[in-house]
Amino acid sequence: MNMAASDGPGHEKDGAHGFLLSKLESWSREKSLWPVTFGLACCAIEMISTSAARFDIARFGSELFRPSPRQADLMIVSGRVSQKMAPVLLEIYNQMPEPKWVIAMGDCASCGGIFNNYAVIQGVDKIVPVDVYIPGCPPRPEALLDGIIKLQERVHEGATRA
Amino acid sequence: MSIETRPDDAEMTERMSSTLTPSPMNGNGPVDSATAPHTLRINMGPQHPSTHGVLRLELELDGEIVVSCKPIIGYLHTGTEKTMENLTYLQALTVTDRLDYLNPMGNNLAYALAVEALFDCEIPERAIIGRVLLAELTRLNSHLVWLGTTGIDLGASSVLLYTFREREVLLDFFESLSGARMMTSFIRPGGLADDFTDDWLQGVSKFIDDLPARIDEYEALLTHNPLFKDRMVGIGVLDGQRALSMGVTGPVLRASGISHDIRKARPYSGYDQFEFHVPVGSHGDSYDRYLVRIEEMRESVKLCKQAIAKLPVGPVKTSDRKVMPPPREELGQSMEAVIHHFKLWTAGMKPPAGEAYIPVESPRGELGFYVVSDGSNKAVRVRERAPSFANLQALPIMARGGLVADLIAIISSIDPVLGEIDR
Amino acid sequence: MTETLDQALDSLTLADLEHGTSADGIDFVRVPVDAIPRLVDAVIGAGFGRFIDLTAVDEPRRADRFELQYLLHSMQDQRWLRLKARTAEHAPSIVSQFEAANWYEREVFDLYGVLFDGHPGLTRILMPDDWDGHPLRRDVALGGEPVQFSDNIS
Repeated sequence: MNMAASDGPGHEKDGAHGFLLSKLESWSREKSLWPVTFGLACCAIEMISTSAARFDIARFGSELFRPSPRQADLMIVSGRVSQKMAPVLLEIYNQMPEPKWVIAMGDCASCGGIFNNYAVIQGVDKIVPVDVYIPGCPPRPEALLDGIIKLQERVHEGATRA
Repeated sequence: MSIETRPDDAEMTERMSSTLTPSPMNGNGPVDSATAPHTLRINMGPQHPSTHGVLRLELELDGEIVVSCKPIIGYLHTGTEKTMENLTYLQALTVTDRLDYLNPMGNNLAYALAVEALFDCEIPERAIIGRVLLAELTRLNSHLVWLGTTGIDLGASSVLLYTFREREVLLDFFESLSGARMMTSFIRPGGLADDFTDDWLQGVSKFIDDLPARIDEYEALLTHNPLFKDRMVGIGVLDGQRALSMGVTGPVLRASGISHDIRKARPYSGYDQFEFHVPVGSHGDSYDRYLVRIEEMRESVKLCKQAIAKLPVGPVKTSDRKVMPPPREELGQSMEAVIHHFKLWTAGMKPPAGEAYIPVESPRGELGFYVVSDGSNKAVRVRERAPSFANLQALPIMARGGLVADLIAIISSIDPVLGEIDR
Repeated sequence: MTETLDQALDSLTLADLEHGTSADGIDFVRVPVDAIPRLVDAVIGAGFGRFIDLTAVDEPRRADRFELQYLLHSMQDQRWLRLKARTAEHAPSIVSQFEAANWYEREVFDLYGVLFDGHPGLTRILMPDDWDGHPLRRDVALGGEPVQFSDNIS
């Protein structure tokens, strides 16, 4: 079923009824973004710090990091993506059901970071569409939370896919 | 490359295993090699919550029992060695932080020692003792992460929250000292990037004094917990001789009964001035590896206290102007100082031609950087001898004959970091 | 060099055996690459029974461009020892003497292209299986993307 990028699933958008329903959808999606565990390298450690007690990503809705991509709607690519890992990343992304979003956390995921060489994909946006880029090497947990809040704003506007 | 089986599709796995020929795991009778030849080949990782990074394991299972386990690495290969060969020595230092990302200052130290060996330059005493302090704080940091992730792998998720509480305080200290939480690049060839302040040392001292009580808290949660002991005692046994022949180092080797710690065997950076003992296990199982690391945390606390007490007054950078730039004040008075400053910040340091490898004891084992110089400002070869590479090679030996759940406990007790394995 | 090591090296009766000490204080021994298994047996006898590391240094201007660097350790003397051997392509595998050398030889094969004869399963370990070439060779470019700085645009 092909959906337009900014509309919800197939029902009518006319009228106050449809409007409220789509707002309800956006609200429930943005307030419960469940990331898939996709920690690759050093940024993953800061991601774990973000889910620990001081920064607590659960306050923002990401209560659980789902190991299975089938049960997740957000992929936080945290770390450098090597040549061998790229097809795996694409497979995990494909296994996630719609609507799904991608955050490129850190310099390596955004643009290859300090590793401009044969082994690292220069930015994960070469293989999957990215919604939010978070710079840093590694970004502070507050930076990751800022990125998630920015993503929530996007979802609030109704964006349903990266 | 294709992934043969979807790693997390539990239902499909169950359907496949129920079509196997009889085995006790299927509840259909005793195992006999003639009647139960079929095993299930299943893939674990590289995307997996419990493999401590992007590690892929090809498992051959007879029901739940691991018949063989083949680790496949390379999913985090970053080309760091070639990158470092194309950067100046100081720029390459920043790459070393990101190899074993749980032990950044330890990597800095190993690299700095190798470059200093090429120069054969004198490091001031305050820098030497300061390096011990920073290396031991980093060891504590690494073991806290290990303990937290081991807890959460085995289901004791609150341990993660406790250990990361302490870790955040340590990261605050690193940040106030160097500006960065994790990748500090603070230990440089020639000394340290900057000096400690008294306030900082007081803060660290207070934290170190409180830490043994926190370690007692973690032990109260785990050490005598019957669930934890069930999952760890007798699991993943690696005997001492096999550990030696597999090139295993660090807590894994010491838990197997071999007392070998580089800090005692070939003391570097002033460790011979410190009093500490090296914990050694006897059974070589995951529980002993856990106990060894907990003891190491207590010894690190002792080392930090001694380091803060021993810290002498003085500079933290070498006076060898071929390695470290001169202080600002000198630039107004000496032409040589200006020239050294200019050469160091444009071309970078040029160690005399030669090779050096100084092993250090990282939280995972023997870590060293083999640096080969041809006299120019870029290294000919920088190679990291990563302890987790050899430790992981011993995984199939430890995992054979155990259950899949034991495999998780074994991996977390080896404490591999894929960043240094794949480099 | 310790006495036992000197005796072990003499017993090999190799004409072109060089030895020395590097800047880090670790002794090294350089032999022709075919003599590596015999040298390894000799140094194991002299106490260096622990395998620590294996890597290669590439000098493309030399005919036998790869110099293999083996690092061994002796638990009783607490000394390290470096073995060196130069080769253009082939080298004998020492997996039968040190089982730890397995992954290390695969890595040198993967990144440099040195073929270890007698290795039980010499396949790539870090690069993807279908990768072309050996990236750590000095005559292979670093790779990556060209970076354009705004002051370079004319």
